[in-house]
Amino acid sequence: MTRLCMVIDKRRCIGCHSCTVACRTWNQLPIDIVYNPVLSTGATGKWPNVHRTWTPMLCQHCDKPACVPACPTGASQRDEDGTVWIEYKKCMACKVCVNACPYGMRDQSKFEPRLHQFIRKCTFCRDRRQYEPDKDPYCVQTCHQKARIFGDLDDPSSEVSKLVGRHKTSRIFENLNTEPQIYYIDDLGGTI
Amino acid sequence: MRHHYWELPIFVYLFLGGLGGGIMFLSMIFTLIMAPGSMEMVQVVWLPMLVAIACLALGCFFLVFELGQPFAFLRVFLKNTSIICWGARFLTVAMLAAIVWWVAYLPYESVEWLWPFQGLADALRVAGPVCMVLAGVAGFCIMVYTGVMLSTLKAHSFWATPALPVLFTVSALSTACAGIMLFAGIHPEGATMGVQLASTFVHEQVHEYDIVLVIAELTVLFVMILSFLGSGNKVQNQVAHRWIHGSYALAFWGGMICIGLGIPEIINIFCGEVEVLTHIVAPIMVLCGGLLLRAMCIFSDDRAEIPGEIRYFTKLKKKGQAEFLTRWDYNGQNEF
Repeated sequence: MTRLCMVIDKRRCIGCHSCTVACRTWNQLPIDIVYNPVLSTGATGKWPNVHRTWTPMLCQHCDKPACVPACPTGASQRDEDGTVWIEYKKCMACKVCVNACPYGMRDQSKFEPRLHQFIRKCTFCRDRRQYEPDKDPYCVQTCHQKARIFGDLDDPSSEVSKLVGRHKTSRIFENLNTEPQIYYIDDLGGTI
Repeated sequence: MRHHYWELPIFVYLFLGGLGGGIMFLSMIFTLIMAPGSMEMVQVVWLPMLVAIACLALGCFFLVFELGQPFAFLRVFLKNTSIICWGARFLTVAMLAAIVWWVAYLPYESVEWLWPFQGLADALRVAGPVCMVLAGVAGFCIMVYTGVMLSTLKAHSFWATPALPVLFTVSALSTACAGIMLFAGIHPEGATMGVQLASTFVHEQVHEYDIVLVIAELTVLFVMILSFLGSGNKVQNQVAHRWIHGSYALAFWGGMICIGLGIPEIINIFCGEVEVLTHIVAPIMVLCGGLLLRAMCIFSDDRAEIPGEIRYFTKLKKKGQAEFLTRWDYNGQNEF
């Protein structure tokens, strides 16, 4: 069975925000919505041993998402391959899912006309993959550092499966038992 | 990380839901358990039931008004796993049952222009007690639901605690007592001796309930806040500090503790003979306290920060940048 996931190699990310821009372009997002913020806590360490790392964020496409059961209309859904997405015509923008998501990766644009608002989120470029199944999400395709790797975790021959098996990875807020499907290969000592 | 996605309409809805549901629950206790079959008791709670229906209707209006697509609200009944779905079902059952009960006891004998409803009222009166049970049980569920709804959202540590539904339920009962205190006994047929006796009984009972409920509410509130302060996680600790001696301190100590709970409790205990204070002033203060409690809880929607998140979302704070970002229209034109 397919289980889509993304591995983000933080050692490779240089904080260029190309993925943010690519995502905004593909999804034609309003100015106040970002699916792919690239976070950083700034430089750490002591001169001359300073370094800086970035954490590219996106919807964690959790195995046990908090947002999907919270949605009263059934607009928030999870596909069999693990993609969590919103069926816009069913969404009434009650914002329960926004409050349920521990990652803050759902949002509503302030610039949409009143009475026609809905919640937006990353869908692993579901629309793009529907018509061209072999294509990766646009952020993955754009990342020139190959810091984002996308694939089927249940396929032993896939790159993500090998990376997760080979490297020490972490997931955000694992203690909440949402089983996020974005695996981070951490910096400095994250390798075997 | 603070982000207020729910604002005024939601906390007003939670307050009105708790108040309306609580009045229906207490009305059920009075009419079916304390004085079963008493027409006088029905007349005493007749106006509070109307107030409860109005509260729930107004609360629903606020909830629907807050939606991004209000005309899609019928979908809210569809999914069993969503707590909001259950809330909508309870609200519907409570309101329909309460409306039927209220129409069944319309005072068409004393109010001349109500004569067209005589047949309807007589027909519905058979179902009166059943409707009151439905409204009372659904009302109780609404009181509990307002707190459970927030406590299921585990992204927000301040909400996701078992104490919050207890606090909201006790507060809803307390505000319901205040609502009944304000409106019980007022009936178009006037105050007959029987109604006066029943009304006095209800006021005395509600007065005593409220003394106990306010103490319970204070206890739950302090246990919750102090446990967050002492042993809560980082987010709970931040919120507790904000409540105790931060930006919410004035609203917490002055508004909620003094005006909403402390002074009404003192009035109820020491000024029980002064009707203006116990029947009007104290209930209004309790209602204000209940509204403030919900407002403060809704605005305490802090979420655990993902490292770098605040830095990312606040780095465009320089003059002009925020305006540049926020003055785009939907068609992509920048008005800055």
